[in-house]
Amino acid sequence: MQLQFTECGIHLPDIGLWLDNTKLDNTKPCAASWLSHAHSDHARGCHAQVIGTPATLRIYRMRLSVAENQEAPKMFPLNFGESMPWNGATLTAYPASHILGAAQLLIEFAGERLVYTGDIKLRPPLAGDTTEVIPCNRLIIESTFGLPIYKLLTREAAAQRIIRFAQECLDEGQTPAFTGYPLGRGQEIVHVLANAGFRTAVHGAIAKFIPVYEDYGYRFPNWQPYEAKATAGKALVVVPDHGRVLESSGKNIRRAYVSGWAALDNARLRGGAEELIPYSDHADFDELLELVARSGAKHVDVVHGYTAPFAHILRSRGISASAPQRTSDRTNIEAEA
Amino acid sequence: MDELAQACEDIARVSSKLKKIQRLAAYLQPLNDSDLLLAVQFLSSGPAAQPGINQTLFATEEKTSLSIGRAVIREALQMATGWDREILRICFSETGDSGETAGLLLRGVSADEPMTLHHAEDLYRQLGLAHTSARKRELLTRIYRRYRPLTIKYFIKIITRGLRIGLMERMVEEAVALACHVPAASVREANNRLGDLPKVALAARLGELASIETRLFHPMDFMLAKPLERLEDLAEPAHWFIEDKYDGIRSQVHFDQGQVRIFSRGMEEVTQAFPEIASAWKNIPGKGIVDGELLAWRDNKALNFNILQQRIARKRVKATLIQEVPVIFMGYDALLHNGALLLNTSLQARRQALESILENAPPLLHISPRHSAATLEDVDRLFLESRQRGNEGLLLKRKDSLYEPGKRTGAWRKLKRPFGTLDVVITAAEQGTGRRAIYFSDYTFAVRTSVGFANIGKAYSGLTNAEIKDLTKILRSASTEKFGRVILVKPEVVLEVAFDGVQKSPRHKSGYALRFPRILRWRKDKKADESDDIARVEALYNSSIL
Repeated sequence: MQLQFTECGIHLPDIGLWLDNTKLDNTKPCAASWLSHAHSDHARGCHAQVIGTPATLRIYRMRLSVAENQEAPKMFPLNFGESMPWNGATLTAYPASHILGAAQLLIEFAGERLVYTGDIKLRPPLAGDTTEVIPCNRLIIESTFGLPIYKLLTREAAAQRIIRFAQECLDEGQTPAFTGYPLGRGQEIVHVLANAGFRTAVHGAIAKFIPVYEDYGYRFPNWQPYEAKATAGKALVVVPDHGRVLESSGKNIRRAYVSGWAALDNARLRGGAEELIPYSDHADFDELLELVARSGAKHVDVVHGYTAPFAHILRSRGISASAPQRTSDRTNIEAEA
Repeated sequence: MDELAQACEDIARVSSKLKKIQRLAAYLQPLNDSDLLLAVQFLSSGPAAQPGINQTLFATEEKTSLSIGRAVIREALQMATGWDREILRICFSETGDSGETAGLLLRGVSADEPMTLHHAEDLYRQLGLAHTSARKRELLTRIYRRYRPLTIKYFIKIITRGLRIGLMERMVEEAVALACHVPAASVREANNRLGDLPKVALAARLGELASIETRLFHPMDFMLAKPLERLEDLAEPAHWFIEDKYDGIRSQVHFDQGQVRIFSRGMEEVTQAFPEIASAWKNIPGKGIVDGELLAWRDNKALNFNILQQRIARKRVKATLIQEVPVIFMGYDALLHNGALLLNTSLQARRQALESILENAPPLLHISPRHSAATLEDVDRLFLESRQRGNEGLLLKRKDSLYEPGKRTGAWRKLKRPFGTLDVVITAAEQGTGRRAIYFSDYTFAVRTSVGFANIGKAYSGLTNAEIKDLTKILRSASTEKFGRVILVKPEVVLEVAFDGVQKSPRHKSGYALRFPRILRWRKDKKADESDDIARVEALYNSSIL
């Protein structure tokens, strides 16, 4: 099957499908795109037809803006484990555990099995589905943390660190503030804190998606909207930019940074947080290697993050691999969401 | 050493200064005496402490520095982990820290053997005595494979002299005081006298701080001057002694009736490089410690620092070189004289001691001429005179200033004015290290020529963190090519740089190099074609050799 790696996504011309097309030019919608998950660096723009899991499509719809003279995309929901025919190919969705609804896509076409992971995490997340490894011939994988310096915490260890830090701050009369991205990490942190019995105040950008998680069976007891004037005695979960606002407000606040980037000491300077909790909704280096090995893929395309070094590492282990997208590493680091 | 590493990791984790000090004190308190010595040494001066200078007075053959470069640290890591050079290069570039990278990559690789402080000291000693890079690499590889990753992280950070855990020497002093139940001020004062925090820590524990005395032939930190950006900011000009600011090698002479040792900043001994100065000091009666500067000197004037540099690199100085590059010692200050420690006496009193030490001194030993000023205009005039004598500017010292070793306080100020400024264009940028590892903070810049831009220098200081952050974004999007930590960029951003001189140099394409270039400001108002051209550089060069 032919693959075209372009600046705005991966194109499969044989079956008329894009993978995570992110073309910003709304005037020329692409014909059809698979949405691996609902982060805006993957699901963006108004396309003619989109395929995704029901959760992904629901969040995509919440964020979508359709111009007046434009037609809303036609949406094809695909549940985990379900298949659908598409221009002579068979598409099947499998969990990727990155954020709620995140999915891998298996494309079977002319005897070939191609798997596109999207953003993926192999170990079980704090809240979300657990990834399955799909046997395939060809694997398109991300490598956000594709360097051996990145080893991240398991969900149990991360939950423990989150709870310990919150408790330690509250015991000392300080307010713990966790920074997380609006979709995914934010809800995961709230889920841990709220279920551990902390009074959890949640920033609006994160709170917005809590009902979606609730509809998928996740319970969030005890949480309340964040109010700048009433923070004492609560654990705060805010978006990264707001963490800085809080700190400079002179309130008695200590910040924790929950992110894969927290694996490096310089994250302390980057985000200004005191407590670094290296946990991510992306796979760490060992998970990526395991994923590749268990997939049995004969060839691997590495498309996000440390693409060239990770492909180089795979090749040095006897696996055919390439880094087809020529985006700069740094751009991708900052785009982690 | 394992506990020290854990303490450091905990200290990094809290931002409150008090908590850092408390954590360190909690670590230091239960240590036995010899462990306390080592722990404080590793945290303050590092493993390269001068091995028993008093005992081996004239045997300076033993190396005092481990001289382990980043290359050795990386190559050993390559051998221990199997990761190749390219992968290691990217990992180092992401963390910006050798010790951290080693610690991260050794997880799951190294064995779990404990390392005591004495063990660490022994390993440092072995590394120090290993004379070839290959031998150092081999030793380090073995160390990587044996001990705990977190311990290795700090073992290496102690070698590279940057813990990066937000712990300053003053805080180590406070932790020592806390652990030994003595006032912080008494530890600080004792450390000022002795300049040897490990020994001070031990004395603090034994209740012997009061008896700590400065020891001859044991270098003390130098007192430093704070830059005075604008002359107008100088309060009460009449309260200052004013001297020329010379551009030589700041040195500390320890002498005791015929025995002489000269130390430069960084506590390195330079006695052998300046035998004529050492022998001049042998004729000085009594004993003492004098602060001053070594200068290349001819016709009553200090020569360019480049000329003096020829003398430093040599192990043995030939008579012809002594003739070609004549050197003098310019005395500034007296810190100890015949048993009397002068640190806590006023500059005025110390100056008298200096004059009495160098009374009837041989011609190679000078005393820095001293001026006074009544008004700012006087200071300005003195500045111009100093520049006419070829010196850098002025050093202003408050008449009542005490000698505070290792400090850069407002009691001493230095007034330099740049030789010139240029508006230059950034052509390449490099990621910084440490806290700047995530930014492009080092810039290569160029001037206009008829055939495009030609590089003339590199600078990394002068911009605010916010500006560096903004510039990083702009440069990243203007980058045309990437080589490791360096990007080439389209020539768009204009900086105003100040510098202390222009030299001819084959190093840069322009054929010139700037001396001490530093960034004055980011000229957002200027476009690349409004920057200075090579003709202006040539004119500045021509004016400087007149």
